Amino acid sequence: MLERVCLPVATVEDAAATCRALLRHDVGTVVAVHVIEKAGGAPDKASVEQREEQAAEIFAALEDCLGDRDLETDVRYGTDVAETIFDAATDHDATAIVFTPRGGSRWIRLLTGDVAMALVTETDRPVVVLPDVPEEPNGG
Amino acid sequence: MTDQELAKDLGPLAALTIGVGTMIGAGIFVLPGIAAGRAGPLVALSFLVGGVVSIFTAMSASELGTAMPKAGGAYYYVNHALGPLFGAIAGLGNWMGLAFASAFYMLGFGGYLRTFLPLPQVPLGVLTLTETQVAGLVAGAAFVGVNYVGAKETGRLQNAIVVLLVAILTVFSVLGFLQADLSTLRPIAPMGWAPLLPGTALIFVSYLGFVQITTVGEEIRNPDRNLPLAVIGSVLIVTTMYAVVMVMMMGVVPWQELERLAEQFGEGAPVIEVARLAFGGVGVAGVGVALVTLAGLLATASSANASILASSRINFAMGRDKLVTPWLNEIHGRFATPYRSIAVTGALILALILVRNVEVLANAGAVLHLIVYGLLNVALIVMREAAPPEYDPSFRVPLYPVTPAVGAITSFGLIAFNPPAVLGLAGAFVVGGVVWFFVYARPRTPKQGVLGEYVLSRADAMPDSAVSAAASVQPDGGTYRVMVPLANPESEQDLITLASAIAKQRNGTVVATHIVTVPDQTALAGAAERADELDESSRALLAAAERDAETFDVPVETHTIISHRSFEEVFDAARTHDADLVVMGWGKDAHGSPGRAESAVDEVTGTIPCDFLVLRDRGFDPSRILVPTAGGPDSELSAEVARLLADEFDAHVTLLHVADPDEREAAESFLEEWAAAQGLEDAERRVETGDVEDAIRRAAADHTLLAIGATERGLLSRLLTGTLVLDVVEEVDTPVVLAEKRRTRSLWQRLFGRR
Repeated sequence: MLERVCLPVATVEDAAATCRALLRHDVGTVVAVHVIEKAGGAPDKASVEQREEQAAEIFAALEDCLGDRDLETDVRYGTDVAETIFDAATDHDATAIVFTPRGGSRWIRLLTGDVAMALVTETDRPVVVLPDVPEEPNGG
Repeated sequence: MTDQELAKDLGPLAALTIGVGTMIGAGIFVLPGIAAGRAGPLVALSFLVGGVVSIFTAMSASELGTAMPKAGGAYYYVNHALGPLFGAIAGLGNWMGLAFASAFYMLGFGGYLRTFLPLPQVPLGVLTLTETQVAGLVAGAAFVGVNYVGAKETGRLQNAIVVLLVAILTVFSVLGFLQADLSTLRPIAPMGWAPLLPGTALIFVSYLGFVQITTVGEEIRNPDRNLPLAVIGSVLIVTTMYAVVMVMMMGVVPWQELERLAEQFGEGAPVIEVARLAFGGVGVAGVGVALVTLAGLLATASSANASILASSRINFAMGRDKLVTPWLNEIHGRFATPYRSIAVTGALILALILVRNVEVLANAGAVLHLIVYGLLNVALIVMREAAPPEYDPSFRVPLYPVTPAVGAITSFGLIAFNPPAVLGLAGAFVVGGVVWFFVYARPRTPKQGVLGEYVLSRADAMPDSAVSAAASVQPDGGTYRVMVPLANPESEQDLITLASAIAKQRNGTVVATHIVTVPDQTALAGAAERADELDESSRALLAAAERDAETFDVPVETHTIISHRSFEEVFDAARTHDADLVVMGWGKDAHGSPGRAESAVDEVTGTIPCDFLVLRDRGFDPSRILVPTAGGPDSELSAEVARLLADEFDAHVTLLHVADPDEREAAESFLEEWAAAQGLEDAERRVETGDVEDAIRRAAADHTLLAIGATERGLLSRLLTGTLVLDVVEEVDTPVVLAEKRRTRSLWQRLFGRR
């Protein structure tokens, strides 16, 4: 099931945490997907270029963590984050979508859109939720 | 690339509503009472004048926007064209101007809220917050919060809000004109014509919004067509609406009454009263008041929202150019917003809301923007005149250069019609921007700006004051700068290798310059016409230099300098480009004067501008380096170079000292100490006796590079005796690098040498 995983990542911390969790399992190719959320007809929350720069940082962090494992990266634009992740998973022939949940209170999730919920309830392929692995004290 | 197309999702209507939505908040809903009180019915004309001033800048902004659709808009154009000094002023000005304007909008919002909500006054020790301020603070906090969290919905609502506003205003105007008695508009200028322009200065905050469309330039679909459409279109639409609505309002309620209502009941009162009368004419006074109050709230809210959004884009653009700290542009983990930028701007806005005076905020916001608009017009002129090849706008302003010239003059000119306190603020602000540039930005930003490049590349033909001004504001990146004057493609690689190795060890920058010599008879301007030819060969040479330097992973700058002089230009270039070290070639096709790296002129004046390394054109192979020394600063420099090369290339270094046969022991201890002092304890040490030149010649035979200090002797002794350096250099086959350290010498010393 984990031969070709679609790994949605939002931030550098997110990428590091998900990668740490991922390394404990037998995984084939990782396809990292970063979605730049677009407002669709209105100015975005942050500059597109700014978030493209952030995407580059996120992918670099993943590369560092995964070492010489197979990594593919993809930046996508879309108004619905979960939809876009599903499209990416289909395009890349992913065997599963893998992510670590990002907590946050119900109120915050309501305000910012609950991507995790959508991923789990609207998926068309296996979704694997990995537990959060805390960082080792001496930088693991 | 389809992904890039997906990133652009703002169509023409969306872009237009950004402009219109930002501008409508102030002009119609907040200012009529105060403005009418200033100028009487003349104020409608003040609005028209404001529109005219804006249209020139709108055209310049459109051209620059289609050429460079990047985040940051006006700030980016000014920074790119005029360089980081003006970029700092424009960026900080635009940012602070938006903060002032947002505080103004929030007070306007508060004014409307107060008309139907009972609000408290809050005493805070020294000052008491009025009801308007309280409402403004709460609303301000709410809008900042919404932007901080990045609720997507606010963006989508913006379009709907603006369309609704325009609809309400249209109905309002029609009903108003039915009730209007236009005779109250005479006399048009009850206080004379003098208040016309100060009136424009006051209401100009109503025109702050069309340039903001350029701040989201990167997101506009088909910007070539839609950007100018949105920018110019929004100015035209808004000017018409302002003029029509103002006339209508003053027809329904005489201007003296409008002023009184504003003073007594807050800024929203005049519009609400007019609405009551206008809609009352068809029996729906209550509905009318509610609609217009709603419109007032929506308009001021959307203006504030758009301003907060624009300010975070400007921060990002400034951070990208390293004019502000990258700390400010961090993106939030959960919310995907530039939360720190929004928080800082929000704090500024809330602080400014404490300034109760709506007029001061309006004036200050407008003045700061006018500075930016003036600079924007100047930027256009610079881009057209310098005409860098990448500059290719799809929209070109009509009647160049009249349009940007008028735009700059009217923008800067309108600043003068503000009250003295605001002028003082503007002045302090420009000073602040300049200080920020010198203190923070200059050592960090790598970008020079088209204007600076242009002046420095034609340094010979430019007035000295311009050149020194351009050089003094040039960003230096705060690093060790190694300048390499290139003349000949054959020597380029060796010189760049040597320069890059040193720059890398010293964490510095390589500045590759190509000095193109033009015969005296040819005016430099004429040379610029041959520019295409020159540029091609220059570009090829500098591109090769760039490639070679990049293999060392060292930052590279390239410059082309057109000059009548070749050798002397190297010195000037070293000064204007702030070089710490010059690495140049010398041989058949190099810059001239052999031996000492100075021309006769500089011998007399006594200084060379920095350290010099002169590489004789026999290739460059740093595997076995020979450093002959007799002490002295020049051989210290060659030792330092040897050490840097040893670190970079793992070279073997031999130190050679020649002494009299009976001083052998003293010589050996001298050499040992000297080696330690230069950090070359591991180098091989050789003490030889006999003739110096023979010893060097013998030793050079089994080394690949001879690093030798230039002679210390002064002019006269050199002329009389010929230099030691020159002879032996000519006689060996080994590549040679001559080192001369920067030092100042008195005229006496220069003539007679020192011992």
